[in-house]
Amino acid sequence: MFKKILIANRGEIAVRVIKACQELGITATAVYSEADRSSLHVQSADEAVYVGAAPAGESYLNIDVIIQAAKDTGCEAIHPGYGFLAENAEFVLRCEEEGIVFIGPNSKAMKLVGDKIRSRLAMEKAGIPIIPGMKGDLQDPSKYISEAEIIGYPVMVKASAGGGGKGMRIVYKEADLRPALEAGKREAKAAFGNDSVYLEKYIEEPRHVEFQVLADNFSNTVHIFERECSIQRRHQKIVEESPSVALETDLREKMGKVACKVIQVSGYNNTGTVEFLLDKDKKFYFLEVNARLQVEHPVTELISGIDLVLQQIEIAAGKKLAFKQKELQQKGHAIECRIYAEDPQNNFLPSSGKVLFLKEPSGPGVRFDCGIYSGCDVPVYYDPILAKLIVWAENRDKACRRMLKALADCVVLGIKTNIEFLKDLIGHPRFKEGKTTTNFIQKNFPNWSPPEKPENLKELALSAAAFNSQKSSFQGGGYGAEPKEVYSPWTKLGKWSIGGGK
Amino acid sequence: MDYEFIIDGALAEVSLDKKEEKFIISLGKKSFKADICWISENVISLLLGGKSYCLHLASDKKQTHININGHYFYIKEPSDETLDFAGGEQASEKDALFIKAPMPGKVIKIYVKEKQAVRKNQTLAVVEAMKMENEIKSSLEGQVKKINAAPGDLVDPDMVLIELEKK
Repeated sequence: MFKKILIANRGEIAVRVIKACQELGITATAVYSEADRSSLHVQSADEAVYVGAAPAGESYLNIDVIIQAAKDTGCEAIHPGYGFLAENAEFVLRCEEEGIVFIGPNSKAMKLVGDKIRSRLAMEKAGIPIIPGMKGDLQDPSKYISEAEIIGYPVMVKASAGGGGKGMRIVYKEADLRPALEAGKREAKAAFGNDSVYLEKYIEEPRHVEFQVLADNFSNTVHIFERECSIQRRHQKIVEESPSVALETDLREKMGKVACKVIQVSGYNNTGTVEFLLDKDKKFYFLEVNARLQVEHPVTELISGIDLVLQQIEIAAGKKLAFKQKELQQKGHAIECRIYAEDPQNNFLPSSGKVLFLKEPSGPGVRFDCGIYSGCDVPVYYDPILAKLIVWAENRDKACRRMLKALADCVVLGIKTNIEFLKDLIGHPRFKEGKTTTNFIQKNFPNWSPPEKPENLKELALSAAAFNSQKSSFQGGGYGAEPKEVYSPWTKLGKWSIGGGK
Repeated sequence: MDYEFIIDGALAEVSLDKKEEKFIISLGKKSFKADICWISENVISLLLGGKSYCLHLASDKKQTHININGHYFYIKEPSDETLDFAGGEQASEKDALFIKAPMPGKVIKIYVKEKQAVRKNQTLAVVEAMKMENEIKSSLEGQVKKINAAPGDLVDPDMVLIELEKK
């Protein structure tokens, strides 16, 4: 087993990985940028190395500096967390060359699954179901008609150079195809300077269902069931759960097998997630492999009892998987809510600043993976995720109730968060019914605003403000305000430091 | 003691009187007796006729943030500035001429120059925060008077990036 691991990340995931290392008796070395000297991951770690200026490109994304930090501190392995360098094949290759173990897949597999076109071809060849679509651009409009028939309606017209919905058209019948192609081409030309379009099967009311997979270095592969992550806003997941209400035992088994096959075909090792789209007729299509520990991994940990970070470290250290597929069980129901520093009333724009006060929710079946504390600063440079609230209960209904209570118990003062929005979301009747498709937020919360606040609570809030002012005036400063005229030696001493004279 | 606050953009008055170890809280015509206990500098336990409430609060320079039963409230002390901002149309036009960043972040691009004419909805600048880019648009037709920021600058929401003037 490793003696020392460098955690090349920050925030809640760095804290999560540091804890796993410390449980195993491994020294955890954190890295931090200029903006993160006072961050929680630095406090939690056994060692911490400064890696550069606040912008991620000059610190957390700087391969040379991260590798050097690992070498200088004698770390045998690097855990990348998620984001930053986690899916950077160049970084993985560099670790391999430098003789540092990368806790994740090998560079070859990472390169393959990171290339959408190559991996799609590899999967198609291996018989993995992919979203049917045209292979290339065609000049002759009549050929599109025969292609559309092969794919099957409804089809989507997509811009070859595109993205962001530009040039996209949904076509339900042949008669509408030609005008849609023309409009799509015009829009594509205007947006990308290239009018080339292709056809793809349009998946109606899809769900996003992904399978957690573990593969050791000896080709033993298991899946640890699914997570449903359909609740998304701007392609960003915000609520994840397991099991998915959309899967029956047979379908789950079938998809799990396909997920393991995807991993084997890719020559992939360590943890990975195989993403699928599931349509309303329960047909599923491979989307991509996420070659990392996912943000939502705790959901799987709670329903399976398997510690994924521990597994990652053990697999990277060359251990064989200690369990077989048939020994794994999905027990109860888990839901995760991502708590973001953002202002739902201001178009979900990120908010940053000082967390004046934090109360972490707790209780039976409640887990809070957290990267902040009372008094910490949330810098503008990084992902706005603050913490993850995960609950477990015997069934989905109970898990929803537990989540609602835990969200109400979670208090973040000082910066805006999405907590009130999450409460409305989990409490929504369509969510309770499990009608979670990828357009859920668009459909049910087109223009969200916080619910009316009860008048009696508003009165209590005003009372609290009055008590606060009263307290301040009694104490000549008091809580929250700058102390006035209070004797303190620190105000007279000027600059000082422990040890001094450095 | 009487206190005045701004909550949801409106002025509210609260008065506190101490009577036999309990507080009489009066809001307008309403008044109620409360047993209050400070648990810590951010937590108040309140008993109102046997009902128990736990209040969380913290203050910064601008306002006091309060959470009760999962609901968030933001309370300010009345000042000249807050009253000025409540001044309706005039204030909103003034706002439209002073282009501020919507959130703390980094200026990525400034699309306009000083003295340049701008259309309504024209993108003036792009500010990035937490990996998200946000376009800042002009809400009126006019001309650029002054530019106070350059690409690469870190900006706060209160900072005026671009000043416009009406033609």
